[in-house]
Amino acid sequence: MMRRNPGFWFALPLIAAMLLFFAAPLVIVVWFSLMPPRSFDLTTDFGLQNYQSAFADGYGPPLMWSLIGATLTTAITAALAWPTAKILHRHAGRWASIVTALIALPIFISESVRLFGLSVFLMPGGGILAGTLKALFDVQIGTILNTRFAALLGMVYIHFPFMLFPMLLGVGMIPADRIEAAQDLGAGRWAILREVELPLAAPGLLVGGLLTFVLCLGANAEAAILGGRAVTVITAAIEQRFNYAQDWPMGAALTVLVILVTAALVFPAVRRIDLNRIIRR
Amino acid sequence: MTKSPAALSLTGLTKRFGAMTAVDDISIDIREGEFFTIVGPSGSGKSTLVRLLAGLEAPTSGRLHLRGLDITAMPANRRPTAMVFQSLALFDHRSVGQNIEFAMKMKGVAPEARRLRALELLRLVRLPESYYARPVTQCSGGERQRVALARALGSDPEILFFDEPLSAIDYRLRKTLEVELKELHQRTGKTFIYITHSLEEAMVLSDRIAIMRAGRFEQIGTPDEIYRHPTSRFVASFMGEVNILAVSQTPAGPVFADLDCAAPEAAGAFAVLRPESLRPDASAPVTFAATVTQKLMLGSRTQFHLRAGQAALIAEIAAGSGASLSLGETARFGFDPADIAWVQA
Repeated sequence: MMRRNPGFWFALPLIAAMLLFFAAPLVIVVWFSLMPPRSFDLTTDFGLQNYQSAFADGYGPPLMWSLIGATLTTAITAALAWPTAKILHRHAGRWASIVTALIALPIFISESVRLFGLSVFLMPGGGILAGTLKALFDVQIGTILNTRFAALLGMVYIHFPFMLFPMLLGVGMIPADRIEAAQDLGAGRWAILREVELPLAAPGLLVGGLLTFVLCLGANAEAAILGGRAVTVITAAIEQRFNYAQDWPMGAALTVLVILVTAALVFPAVRRIDLNRIIRR
Repeated sequence: MTKSPAALSLTGLTKRFGAMTAVDDISIDIREGEFFTIVGPSGSGKSTLVRLLAGLEAPTSGRLHLRGLDITAMPANRRPTAMVFQSLALFDHRSVGQNIEFAMKMKGVAPEARRLRALELLRLVRLPESYYARPVTQCSGGERQRVALARALGSDPEILFFDEPLSAIDYRLRKTLEVELKELHQRTGKTFIYITHSLEEAMVLSDRIAIMRAGRFEQIGTPDEIYRHPTSRFVASFMGEVNILAVSQTPAGPVFADLDCAAPEAAGAFAVLRPESLRPDASAPVTFAATVTQKLMLGSRTQFHLRAGQAALIAEIAAGSGASLSLGETARFGFDPADIAWVQA
C-alpha cells in the first residue's frame, strides 16, 4: 500500500490537520446552528428555528450594513489603489520601495490601536484635527466621529494595503508595449484603461477585491470604535449573541449565513483567477 | 516627371536622452507610396527615430510634417499612422478579430462594418476567415505576424511603420513574409517605413534605404546605389562579407599597404572589393600571391578565405568555374580595378 500510493501517506498528516482544525469547527458551527435556541449541547434535535428568527428578529439590517460597507470599501480602495499602483509601478526603484514599505508598515500594528489613533485625530474640540485647525486658523469644525461615514473611513484606511498589493502585481502584468500599441491605434486614456489595462490587470484586481471584500465582511472594530452606535454590523451581532446573550445556536446560524454569502461570491471569482500566471510574471 | 508631395517630411529631427543624442538632426522627405527602410546596428537610434515618427516619443527639437501638415505635437492616438511592433504587442486577452478591429472600434465604426473589414483584412494577409474568432494566443509565430499586420492596416493608416517585425523569426518564414510584405506594399500602395538591422532584408524590400549610424543617416540611396557605391567603409561593411583595402601614399605612388602591390589611380583612401570580384587569375590587371586558409561550399559558389601579406581576404567563385584550389595552397589572385568602390573614410 505504502509503495503503491506514497502521495496519499505523505499527505495524511495535512489531511488530518485540515479535518481536525478546519472542517471540524465548521461542522460544529453548522450543527449548533440547527440546535434549539439557547442550548449548549449538540444533539440530534435538528431544526431551522434559528434561521427563521434570524430574519424575523431584525438581523437583516446588520447583514445588509456589512454587505454595503464591504462593497463600498472595496470600490473606494480599488479607486484609490489603481492610481497608486500605477505611479509606484512607473517609478519603480528606491523611492517606490520606501513608499511601499511605509504603506505596508501599519499592517504590523494592531488594528484597534490604529483605529483609536484615528479616533483621537477626529475627536471634536480637543481632537488632533479640530484642535489644530482651531489653534492655527481659528476655524471651528464639528466631527464625523460616531457616524457611518467615520466607520467607512476607518474601513478604507485599514483595508487599503490589502487592495494595493495584489493590485501592484496586477499592474505589473500590463506590458508597456500593449499600451503603446493601443495608443498608436487611436485609443485615448479611458479606452486604454477599459480595453487594455483593466483586462490585463484583472487577476490582481480580482484578488485584491476578494481579499478586501471578505475582510470587510468580517470587520467589526471600525464600526465599534469610529462608528459608535450609528451602525451595527453582522460581526458585532454575532459576537453579541455568543458572548453576552449566551445564545450559541443563534450566533452559529448568523455565522453560517455570512459564510454562505462569502462562498457565493468567492467561489465564482476564484475560478477565474490563474494564480500561476500572477506568480510567474 | 512631376514631384509628388512628401508623405512624411522630417526637418532637423533630434532626440536627446540626457547627454546621449539618439537621433541627431535628421532631415529627409519620404515620398508617397515609397517603401523606405532605415538600416542600422543596435544603438544607432533607428528604433527611437521610428518612435518619434509614430508619436510614441516627443522630439527634443525639429519638425515633422505629414503631407504638409505639422504633426510634431500631435499625440500618437490622433496620428493617421500605424506601427507593427518588434514584439508585435498583440492584445493576448482578445481574439484575432477583436485585435484587427481595435482601431475601428476606437473610431466608432459599427460592429457589422468592422467585422466585414476584418474578414477582408484576414484575406489580405492570407489568413483563413475561420481565424476571426480564434484567441491570438492560439496562433503560431507567422500567424501572429499576419494578425499584427492586419491590425495595423485596420486603422487604414496613411503610413505604416515597422519596427524590426521579422527579427525574431526563423529564416524560411522570414523569407516568405518578406515577399508577402513587398506584395502587400504593391497592392495597398501605402507608404511603408521599415526598420531593420539587416541590410539584406532592406535590399529585398525597399525602394530606398537609409543607413543609420550614431543617430545620423550615413548614406541614403536605392538598394543598387548602396550596393554598388557605398560612400563609407561603414556602409560597405554593413553589406556583409566585403574586402576593404587601405591605400598608402609612397614616393613611387599609391600602394595597397597590406598587399604590398601598386594601387593605380586610387580614387579614395580605401578600396571596397566584393568577394565575387576577386579571382584566382594571374592575368588580371592587379594580382598578388595569396594562401587559402579556409574553403567553404556555399552551393552556387565556393568561398575562399585568403591570407595575402597582412590582409585577410574573402573570394567567392562560381561553383564549376574550374578553381580546384585546396586548403594551404598558394596561388596568384587578382581583380579588375574597375570593380573597386572607392571610399574616403
